[in-house]
Amino acid sequence: MKKAIIEMRDICKSYKLGEEDLHVLKKVSVDVFEGEFVAILGPSGSGKSTLMNIIGCMDNCDSGQYKLVDVKVHESKESQLSKVRNEKIGFIFQKYQLIKKYTVIQNVMLPLLVRGMSRKQAEPICAEKIKSVGLGDRMYHIPSELSGGQQQRVAIARAIVTEPSLLLADEPTGALDTKTGKEVLQIFQELSAQGNTIVMITHDLQIASHAHRIIKIVDGEIAPNVADEITPANHIEAPAIQIDETK
Amino acid sequence: MRISEIIYLVMVNITQNKFKVILTSLGIIVGAATIVMVIAIGQGGQKDVEEQFKNLNAGTIEVKNGSSTMTMMMNSGARPSAGSSGPSGGGSSASLASTQLSQEDVEELEFFISGIQAIALAATTTATVNGGDLDDELSGVDIVGTMPEYAPISNLEMAVGEFITDDMLDNKSGYVILGNTLAIDMFGSEIAAYDQDVMVDGRQYNVAGVLQRVGSVVNDVTVDDAVYMPYSTANKYIFMPNITPQIIALAEVADVETVIAQMEVLLRELYPAANFQISDAGSQIQAAQSSANTLSMLLMSVAIIVFIVGGIGIMNVLFVSIQERTQEIGVLKALGTSKFDILLQFLIEANIISIFGGVIGVGLSYALMPLMTYTGIRVEPSIEGGILALVFAVVTGTVFGFYPAYKAASLRPIEALNL
Repeated sequence: MKKAIIEMRDICKSYKLGEEDLHVLKKVSVDVFEGEFVAILGPSGSGKSTLMNIIGCMDNCDSGQYKLVDVKVHESKESQLSKVRNEKIGFIFQKYQLIKKYTVIQNVMLPLLVRGMSRKQAEPICAEKIKSVGLGDRMYHIPSELSGGQQQRVAIARAIVTEPSLLLADEPTGALDTKTGKEVLQIFQELSAQGNTIVMITHDLQIASHAHRIIKIVDGEIAPNVADEITPANHIEAPAIQIDETK
Repeated sequence: MRISEIIYLVMVNITQNKFKVILTSLGIIVGAATIVMVIAIGQGGQKDVEEQFKNLNAGTIEVKNGSSTMTMMMNSGARPSAGSSGPSGGGSSASLASTQLSQEDVEELEFFISGIQAIALAATTTATVNGGDLDDELSGVDIVGTMPEYAPISNLEMAVGEFITDDMLDNKSGYVILGNTLAIDMFGSEIAAYDQDVMVDGRQYNVAGVLQRVGSVVNDVTVDDAVYMPYSTANKYIFMPNITPQIIALAEVADVETVIAQMEVLLRELYPAANFQISDAGSQIQAAQSSANTLSMLLMSVAIIVFIVGGIGIMNVLFVSIQERTQEIGVLKALGTSKFDILLQFLIEANIISIFGGVIGVGLSYALMPLMTYTGIRVEPSIEGGILALVFAVVTGTVFGFYPAYKAASLRPIEALNL
């Protein structure tokens, strides 16, 4: 059996909304194994963003257990979680989240500098990753000089530069047109083929279908059997399930 | 994160926002310049005081007549004849200038009080002076009639010739000693003045010596412009009968209090009804210095207020900057930057801005200082002022940068990224 990257058991999370408690996640259990490319699919308000924040160690759960590789995240303190985020997770956000003042290479370098590397040590590693996403000639440009697709590729380079255990992508194509979106997904598939573990959050079944496995979340719960129904093998053209795309 | 890399990122941030940095540091620039100026003015004041008292030993004691009405009413009379031993004092012959201190009193004090190192009687009046190259006679020249030890007490040095001697005093000789400027005005040089004749109030005197340049006031007399002569001579030919001479004496600073006390006792025995004011230069110097210090402190507190205002300016800008950079902070946090590193980054930013302001401010104040001569305020530039201003700039940056930096470091990544 393959090594588990994510082991989540009975994760609950609720927010106070005025008087009422809003239960966003109700006993969610998820496993992701090494080398998998998993899509978490759900309409807005389904709790997928909250789930992504918890997977990304940026938010904590109310109850349940979460183990990321060998770290018991639910027992960790804020300072330890910073370290986990830096060492184990590569983030790719919908809006790229590049720092506007920094050049491409400075942006990509950040996670390595945070880790304690010097610029000298980090530079060759970063240059290589930037070339691998096809932006070797844009290294000293600032984000505003790049197209959306290029910016997202910079973000991918930043995510993979630390060689994380998990690549966590939140609607990575959400801000891109279909063509560029496809190019980005192409990169994801290449990364997956290289053995990276990828978790991608999306509301779009079309996008999700690029993954090996789809976990559907509805109203804070994992919808049963979806994983069996939809696999990359039977690339569906039309949504098999009712999906609220009015986001 | 390595400090060098944090500084690198801060510098990238700062250089992309030069205008903002200059605006932010404006308060610090003004504050630093104020501190340097204030210290320069304060030290200028101190120097003024020092120069004012340059010719005054801290151990100088001055005895003056107190209230003259008292002495007139009580009328304790003139001193018994010279050489009389023992302070049996208090003759009865009445006169208007009743308790006029005399050469005999000086001898008495010197004899009985061992702590006195030097003592002299001195009185000052004004007279007309003529002679040498002068076209017109000078009126209102200060004439000081005194005794040989006046020179060491007042730190007067001779340029040429000699000061009043005991012989001159005993013989009521017609010698004068000229202040430096007066001698040069009259004869062209110190040496040329020596052994020349001058007219004081129409009587001819011989110049026995010329003093070195002093440039300050001693016992209310501008030394360089004055004429000194034996007390006995002056008393005979120049002084009015109602002149009020003073005694000046010199003692070890440690002995001053004892000597003053002994003088009081002795003078009371000599003139039971009279009232003398005895003061020492040490406490005068102290008083002047403490008022100069008070001025410095006052100016200093103004400078500190300027710094606080500048610091609040920095704090405001940092707060706004954190609002603007929420996304950046969120990214840093998501990428695993620790709270401490973010705190450090913002603190370093605040410090670089304030050090920048401090350096500019100090430079500016040194550049502007020469202009202060036009205001008539004396300034003494000092290294300490510059260093203090820089220290204050750093402290301000740290103190007022801390809260915004702490706020930034405490942001939660999901909120900062607006996920």
